[in-house]
Amino acid sequence: MVANRLVDIFELMVRQEGDLAHGVSLCSVAAEITELSGAGITLSSTGDQKTPWCTSNRVAQELMDLEIMLGEGPGDEASRSGVANQELNLMEPESSRWMMYSPEAAATGARAVFGFPVRIGAARFGALSLFRDEPGPLSETQTSDAYLMASVIGRAILTMQAGAPGDALAGELDGQSTLDFSVHQAAGMLSVQASLSVRDALVALRAHAFATKTAPSVLAQRVVDREVRFDPESGAWRDDMDKNDC
Amino acid sequence: MARESLLIATLVELADNLVDHYDVIDVLTVLTDRCVEAVDVDAAGVMLASPGGELQFVASSSESMRVLELFQIQANEGPCVDCFRDGKAIVNYSLSEADGRWPLFTPRALDQGFRSVHSLPMRLRGRTIGALNLFRTTQGPLEVDDVVVVQGLADVATIAILQHRSSLDAHTLNEQLSNALNSRIVIEQAKGIISQATSSDMDKAFARLRAYARNHNEGLTEVATRIVEGSLHPGSLNHPTRSASRNTES
Repeated sequence: MVANRLVDIFELMVRQEGDLAHGVSLCSVAAEITELSGAGITLSSTGDQKTPWCTSNRVAQELMDLEIMLGEGPGDEASRSGVANQELNLMEPESSRWMMYSPEAAATGARAVFGFPVRIGAARFGALSLFRDEPGPLSETQTSDAYLMASVIGRAILTMQAGAPGDALAGELDGQSTLDFSVHQAAGMLSVQASLSVRDALVALRAHAFATKTAPSVLAQRVVDREVRFDPESGAWRDDMDKNDC
Repeated sequence: MARESLLIATLVELADNLVDHYDVIDVLTVLTDRCVEAVDVDAAGVMLASPGGELQFVASSSESMRVLELFQIQANEGPCVDCFRDGKAIVNYSLSEADGRWPLFTPRALDQGFRSVHSLPMRLRGRTIGALNLFRTTQGPLEVDDVVVVQGLADVATIAILQHRSSLDAHTLNEQLSNALNSRIVIEQAKGIISQATSSDMDKAFARLRAYARNHNEGLTEVATRIVEGSLHPGSLNHPTRSASRNTES
């Protein structure tokens, strides 16, 4: 267990110099860090709609197209169920859950596929799909790296949807922000104040933090302390330091 | 009352919880509560490592413990951090600003009234997945029996996270850890919703959530998820039965 694996991921991302908004660098880093053949990321929005975001190579793109077209596969299942899944040998699938996907996926040259949900608490952001051109399970390190990567992707999507510049992700990863509970509590509070889903509230909170040049955890703590709130009447944020009746 | 009776009651309660679709956070919260009752400590908490190796708070017996656990994570120092990093138990460590071992953590802990700390690694097949932390407001060593007991409870906590899977491969272990950590986030999101909707603080929001889960025989995470997804209205938590709310308010 390497505690600074995040640093490795970040260094890889810097080297990729990709555009965050297109996610390509994230897909390449996901494939590289897990030492697998390729990766793809789908975004899920409200409802059950899934949008392909990025893939790391041609086969990954073909696999992604299959998932979107057929509505089944590892990424689809991960984002729907919120649970990771795998098919260790597409040539001889263990179950018949992906009747259409498995043979088509095998035809692209992929042999094993893995799906990891991209989520922050109960907020679902999409899924990370990984594949390898040989059958078999992931090693312990590969598995923990895949989970870590899924969490990095969650933070990246949040940063992107909050309209933050691409380089803001560095601070995001550095700040261990998903471990900061005040952010999640504040997102819950904001979702009630602004009648948003918790997912959208997380994005809105992040956007406001960037707009006001405040650290997300600092803004979150002020929301929890009821110093800052979203006012639905005016549709604006309010800073009421004086009001303290709760 | 004899500690043995409390211990047996604790083990029975945990065993009772470890059936079917139990909730990891629920079981760990019960475990930290019972640690305080069965062993001579004043606060208990559990931290788990994320797949990236970052420690995360998952359960505690009290708010002051929760604050200190989170502080250790932020400051990246403290008994739990050392215990996790070295995979070795820290037992009967008397807090003193003079020894300089944890310059940031120690004054904070002393300030909260704690005088000695213990941290037991949660280990599985050579891998340390987290730590059980026990803080006392008095100095002086734990009895030898107590040390055995708390390591036993740390082992129970480890088993709880593994969710009674018989075949435990790397994939499954990472999945269980990842799910346990994510569960805690779901609960924090739900606490925020309840807190705002019912004008209560986070502790009361958690008590409401816990009381509802108890009364309806549902897992904490399950109830929290329904609240976040909007299928359960936070107002529905307003009327826990009296006995249940008394049990869970601390």
